[in-house]
Amino acid sequence: MIDKSLRWVDDRLGVAKGGRTFLDKIFPDHWSFMLGEIALYSFVVLLATGVFLTLYYVPSAKEVIYHGSYLPLRGQRVSEAYASTIGLSFDVKSGLLMRQAHHWAADIFLGSIAVHMARVFFTGAFRKPRELNWVVGVSMLLLGILNGFLGYSLPDDLVSGTGIRIAYSILESIPIVGSYIAFFLFGGNYPGNGIIIPRFFIIHVLIIPAIIVGLLAAHLGLLVKQKHTQFPGKGRTEHNVVGSPMFPTFMAKTTGFMFMTTATIFLLAGFAQINPIWQFGPYQPYQISYAVQPDWYMGWLDGALRIMPSWEFVGWGHTWPLEVFLPAVLFPGIVFNLFFAWPFLEAKLTKDRAYHNLLDRPRDRPKRTAAGASVFMLLFMVFCASSTDVLANFFNVPLQSVLITFRIIVIVLPILTFFVTYQICKELQGYEAAGKRKHPVVVTLTPEGEYRTTEMAPHPGDGHEEIEPIPVPTFINLVPPELATGSGVRRVMR
Amino acid sequence: MRRLLRARLLVPAGVAAGVAAAGLLTFTPAAQAGTAPSGSSSSASSLHASTASASVAPTTSGAAGSASAKAAGINPVTLPSSYIAPGEALFAANCASCHGTDAVGTSRAPNLQGLGAGTIDFWVSTGRMPLADPTEQAVRKPPRFNALQTLEIAAYVQSFTPGVGVPIYHVNLSQANLAQGQSLFTLNCAACHTITGAGDALADGAFAPSLHVATPTQIIEAIRTGPGNMPHFSAGNITNAQARDIVAYVHEVIQHPTNRGGFGLGGNGPVAEGFVALLIGVGGLLLVAFWIGERA
Ligand code: HEC
Ligand code: HEC
Ligand code: HEM
Repeated sequence: MIDKSLRWVDDRLGVAKGGRTFLDKIFPDHWSFMLGEIALYSFVVLLATGVFLTLYYVPSAKEVIYHGSYLPLRGQRVSEAYASTIGLSFDVKSGLLMRQAHHWAADIFLGSIAVHMARVFFTGAFRKPRELNWVVGVSMLLLGILNGFLGYSLPDDLVSGTGIRIAYSILESIPIVGSYIAFFLFGGNYPGNGIIIPRFFIIHVLIIPAIIVGLLAAHLGLLVKQKHTQFPGKGRTEHNVVGSPMFPTFMAKTTGFMFMTTATIFLLAGFAQINPIWQFGPYQPYQISYAVQPDWYMGWLDGALRIMPSWEFVGWGHTWPLEVFLPAVLFPGIVFNLFFAWPFLEAKLTKDRAYHNLLDRPRDRPKRTAAGASVFMLLFMVFCASSTDVLANFFNVPLQSVLITFRIIVIVLPILTFFVTYQICKELQGYEAAGKRKHPVVVTLTPEGEYRTTEMAPHPGDGHEEIEPIPVPTFINLVPPELATGSGVRRVMR
Repeated sequence: MRRLLRARLLVPAGVAAGVAAAGLLTFTPAAQAGTAPSGSSSSASSLHASTASASVAPTTSGAAGSASAKAAGINPVTLPSSYIAPGEALFAANCASCHGTDAVGTSRAPNLQGLGAGTIDFWVSTGRMPLADPTEQAVRKPPRFNALQTLEIAAYVQSFTPGVGVPIYHVNLSQANLAQGQSLFTLNCAACHTITGAGDALADGAFAPSLHVATPTQIIEAIRTGPGNMPHFSAGNITNAQARDIVAYVHEVIQHPTNRGGFGLGGNGPVAEGFVALLIGVGGLLLVAFWIGERA
């Protein structure tokens, strides 16, 4: 019966072949191949919780008098956006849980993209033929950061309002075209006539998510088409993939992982407060609170702004606010262009134009690894610089000394990191057994009082054993019984 | 030296590098209240049934107080003259070495005459005085003297200039309007003390302390006297009723925030949140990945 209806569908749509390839897609068994999935599933959580928030959030800057259940705001004039977000937090059932889940999911989404990207980078998975997918990935990161900033601005509280104000100044600082872009986006001079919240809203909930969904489809489509990379190992060549098939092994793993990701996000949402906007109060353009920091993925931009010396020069009838333009426009511009261009840059430098399906061990490419570590250190330090005031307060040192320290660190540490990483890679190359599991060793005392060590064979099940992969069957219904059982490790030719 | 610092308005410097340059810091310490209708005051009082009266008070008669202050629930405390003699002894033993005989000041410490009992009470009851190291910003410490001794010292210093300076206030918060307080606090105090009252570093090595421990009397004294690097707000800037609303907001909301949504991360904002998201969130999921995915 089921068989019959499936055949009916297949006769008309011809899905069996594609479905078969999909079910037989091979996933290499290495934990680092699961990182992208954290991003995937937290994005799914973002979509789901985002739809919930959209039901109650009012994207309007119109002023209303707050009448909800949070006493310290009762009777204050606030924007509808702010009032509705407070409403979500206090008066909508499970609204606060959803808000917090949305926000934690955003933080985890971008964090996991960064980790996933690091895996791809340090193992050289971006090389030919996968440069395109790398570019797609960096685009999603960029859009994700942007959307996070927009979403963070939607509640219209004092902290995020300050962020919008800063964003306006950053746009304005772009030479020549800056003020036009800022005017265009804000529909006039800051703070705009209430147009910015609805605009940010539509970009946040519709335009960017739609683009990300499209890119995600392309990302995964390319992944299936080009097949996974794999680490070198017994039986693995440039021309095959060894691992677990989509069905049933990987399906089980990834579903479990989806539940774990969702659970982690909702546990955080239930137990850890994030962005308590009722404590911040509504945004008023003439007010500013001091310890204002953006979410962590914007932190590196904020940090760069903070530690930049105030350079500004006047010329050609304009003031050139370099102290904003350099750290907030040029710096991220360079970083993202470097990200986008890296696969092509590297190919140019190494003159390596071959296909690569086998991954590098980071130590075997010491220059790339050192360059990556150095950029990472730069970004991390600039990120830390976004909490200069918190650090000054915590360690009870003058803010000025913290700023100066960071200016030095940000230049010196990345350079140092490059050479140290390079050296570590070289050392590791010389020591083949590094990172491998040690053999058991028996120490004996000879009658003469001498200690001797003897290496033993590994305990059964202790050493790493490669399982002989079985070729994936090619036709439906044609799984020979002896192949259907076994280890579950499969091999497919590229 | 400190006097110099105090004279100029300290611009918060955390965002200074880029943001101030971009013309962002518009700090207006004026009493520009949000327009909150009075209808909310009754609901406000229901929040704090237990905290209406505050701290020390031998007699809260309004001899020195204006009618407006009393109507606002801010009542000056009259110190009995019997406090002066024991106060003199305490002052001579603990303060005169720096502030001089008769509190007229020395090269080491400023003149205290004419500052009023409220100033003395603030500095002594928050443990800032007596000072250990005169070169550092005085910080809050466990007070050296008990409530009675503090009042005695205050009465002694006040006795040189009766009726001059800021008196000790007893604050009655039962009429306070929290919404007004929220708006006024954001406008006048958040720039230095941060929006959650956690405190923050200011320029020139100074810092604004956390507001989580000050008593209502100390808060009103801080507003009216402007300790150290904090500007003082006179009744022309912040009326008595407004001051009471701010005190209520600090005492009832800042010090007891509505921590819906789980464990509040210390009011430390996105920095703390980022660490939790990356370490617990992403870190935890990495462990899961490590567990699910085998090593190959
Ligand atoms: C080690 C020296 C020292 C001792 C002892 C000391 N003070 Fe002070 N005091 C200072 C200094 C220095 C300042 C200025 C500090 C500042 O402005 O931050 C000061 C400031 C003050 C102020 C604030 C003055 C203003 O202009 O606002 C008061 C009030 C005060 N002291 C009271 C006392 C009392 C009461 C005692 C005794 C219990 C005492 N001090 C003991 C050194 C001292
Ligand atoms: C220009 C920055 C600035 C502003 C604005 C400001 N403060 Fe302060 N505040 C300070 C500093 C600095 C201190 C510490 C003074 C010292 O110890 O030398 C302080 C101390 C205090 C204290 C004592 C805290 C303790 O526990 O010892 C209280 C209470 C206080 N401020 C309340 C307020 C209130 C209420 C407002 C708004 C009306 C306000 N402050 C506005 C800078 C500021
Ligand atoms: C790339 C994906 C996304 C990211 C990184 C992201 C991030 C954020 C962040 C950080 C906030 C602030 C939350 C707060 O603390 O209040 C937010 C708010 C919001 N988001 Fe998203 N979001 C994403 C996708 C979506 C989608 C797809 C929708 C709708 C379908 C959506 C709807 C909303 C709404 C309505 C708000 C405002 C309500 C509120 O602030 O509580 N988001 N978003």
